[in-house]
Amino acid sequence: MMPYKKKDLCRNFQRGSCQYGERCKFLHVTQQQPNPFGFGVQNNPQSKGTNNYNFGNKQNQSKPFENKWTRFSPITGGGVPASRQPDNQPQSANHKCSDPDSCKRIIAEDFELERPLWKLTCYGHWKNAPCDIVGDISYEELRAAAYDDAKCGSSLHSIVERERNLLNSNLMKFDNLLRNPYTGPCNSALSGQSPFAAASPNAFSPTPQDSTAPSLSSFNQVGSLVNMGFGTRPSTPSNNAFGQPSSFPNSSQTSSAFGTNNFPSASGLFDNQFPPAQAIRSPFTSGMTSLSNNGVVGFGSNKISTPIFATHNPLFGNQSSIPSGGPVSTSTAAEQATTNIQMVKNLQNGAVLGDTSVWLKVKWIPGEIPEEAPPDAFV
Amino acid sequence: MATFGAAAVATNQNPNKSIEVSQPPSDSVSSLCFSPKANILVATSWDNQVRCWEISRSGTGVASVPKASISHDHPVLCSTWKDDGTTVFSGGCDKQVKMWPLLSGGQPVTVAMHDAPIKEVAWIPEMNLLATGSWDKTLKSSSVRSLCCAVECNDLAKWDNMCMWIVKRQQFAVSPCGAMCYLYWDTRQPNPVHTQQLPDRCYALTVRYPLMVVGTADRNLVVFNLQNPQTEFKRINSPLKYQTRCVAAFPDQQGFLVGSIEGRVGVHHLDDSQQSKNFTFKCHRDGSEIYSVNSLNFHPIHHTFATAGSDGAFNFWDKDSKQRLKAMSRCGQPIPCSTFNTDGSIFAYSVCYDWSKGAENHNPATAKTYIYLHLPQETEVKGKPRAGTSGRK
Repeated sequence: MMPYKKKDLCRNFQRGSCQYGERCKFLHVTQQQPNPFGFGVQNNPQSKGTNNYNFGNKQNQSKPFENKWTRFSPITGGGVPASRQPDNQPQSANHKCSDPDSCKRIIAEDFELERPLWKLTCYGHWKNAPCDIVGDISYEELRAAAYDDAKCGSSLHSIVERERNLLNSNLMKFDNLLRNPYTGPCNSALSGQSPFAAASPNAFSPTPQDSTAPSLSSFNQVGSLVNMGFGTRPSTPSNNAFGQPSSFPNSSQTSSAFGTNNFPSASGLFDNQFPPAQAIRSPFTSGMTSLSNNGVVGFGSNKISTPIFATHNPLFGNQSSIPSGGPVSTSTAAEQATTNIQMVKNLQNGAVLGDTSVWLKVKWIPGEIPEEAPPDAFV
Repeated sequence: MATFGAAAVATNQNPNKSIEVSQPPSDSVSSLCFSPKANILVATSWDNQVRCWEISRSGTGVASVPKASISHDHPVLCSTWKDDGTTVFSGGCDKQVKMWPLLSGGQPVTVAMHDAPIKEVAWIPEMNLLATGSWDKTLKSSSVRSLCCAVECNDLAKWDNMCMWIVKRQQFAVSPCGAMCYLYWDTRQPNPVHTQQLPDRCYALTVRYPLMVVGTADRNLVVFNLQNPQTEFKRINSPLKYQTRCVAAFPDQQGFLVGSIEGRVGVHHLDDSQQSKNFTFKCHRDGSEIYSVNSLNFHPIHHTFATAGSDGAFNFWDKDSKQRLKAMSRCGQPIPCSTFNTDGSIFAYSVCYDWSKGAENHNPATAKTYIYLHLPQETEVKGKPRAGTSGRK
């Protein structure tokens, strides 16, 4: 697709903005570099003062509300201070960070002006290019971990502590990226590591907890804790519970520190401070309909629920042994699995004789199914 | 609470005067989906339940009647309907996908499993496959065997016994169909078709045959051509800078939208020759506070789309004319998920805590979960011509 050739400069564009954007038949250029495609200078946060396509303002619209959508122009950031050029990145993913300083500037600007509220995130300074910071944790992952912990009796306090530690160590990564000379996006050695990876089975293995421990005195205690994380950045590097200044690559070990080491201390502290006489309520009681100790063992490590299919097809997971650490799952799924395995074994052993072979059939033709219930061996 | 004729009252939680769905879940909603064949809404929740309501309209009134629900053992994260509107698939932290033939009143059965919680599930009617994406970094496609045998019996009493036994084994789903005929699903046999390794944990999934896009952790986007489903068509890094939150394929399959935690949506075309049409735009921001975009939904008729965010607002947009069509008022809590019904006449969204501020901000004693129904007006969802088209190209 070739754009048609534009000849004259567009006066609207020079003045501030042109409503036709890319479609305009006149030339949209910035001061630095005339470019028939209308792309501004590459990767350059210096194209200040050029256009803020605040679309709604320029139009003769009868809409009752202001339309803050900004047209894409590689030149503008729209809606933010003019020096911010988040869209000023050409489409190609071939950005090679050949100029680390300008990449650094982009990073500094991003962190200054566009820090999202959720901090447990990866980051890449260049669109369509790999991450500079890895170790994404999504809302749901954090929440699932919290619910698992609560089921195993963790106090809200310790859950919040754990989350805060995750937050701090992620913030450290951002700090490091900002402070150190920019050396290019993460290499493959770092990517893919995460405390939530299925590959780190100990990530959330709960320690066996005294079931009286989950008493959580009240949320007031939590409220009094300093709200560190969400929305603020610490100005000094926080003391990381990991004791490691950098990043998550080692988290598969350290996150087990969450799972194992932190809890005993938290619950110990908890027991001293919050005697069971106080209002006893697990933080998630109202939200959890099945609080029976299903003995959740953590994400990657519970292989017990897979054997239902494992005997037939290894694709569904290995028939590995019960994971180490953490309580043995007593979930109904486990019982189910055991029963099913039993049943399959019985079938395989041909332990049941007689005309009960009909129960072994995988597929019945109409009229074939007996009307009485099967022998118990098959139930 | 929603009855015919009930007036929709604007409140802090419901500033848009949407219709409130009755008997919402007791914990946050993780996904919403409408049946492709009827106005039946399904919601999955962190309270381990999958619920459905029948939504009916009469004149200006909209009513919601709770119909049925099933349980998982752990929070449920995702749901989708089969294209014939008979069955719902749901998956979540119990690492299983359940198939629930709810229209016929059948019991759910497990049809797929992963090694870690299942975040996304999608039904692909053209291939009769169920795609499931999980935090175990895989995408599995499973076939769903739908019919083992159909049996007729004239004696209902005997049938009831039979059915109870069968259901107990949990290896069959029994579905009454008409007075005398029962269908069996045989799920004893494993039925995965393919397991696809992903670069990282699955965070988002969208399917419009033959386009399928998976968003994973660390900003990977993997595109599949379902005509050749066993290989990645393309793998790209997100055009956005932060964690991917949601993706939505264009109805014309030319590309997809991607939303992130940084209050931004990327519009991405697949064809290299259309790359110049790619752009990103900002949304769900409030001053310097940058909220995440939790949900992207295309309107089924007009092909405009809605975004919903952690700021508690939802907006309607037109990507072709690059306009925002309507900004709705912010609700008092985040909107974690939303969906259109099959003809676009109802937009359902949930207002509840999405964990965007961690466990500290979760108070189950006082937390409220709402599901609202918004009836979009045509001006809100119908595409506008590009502003400034006055005879120019």
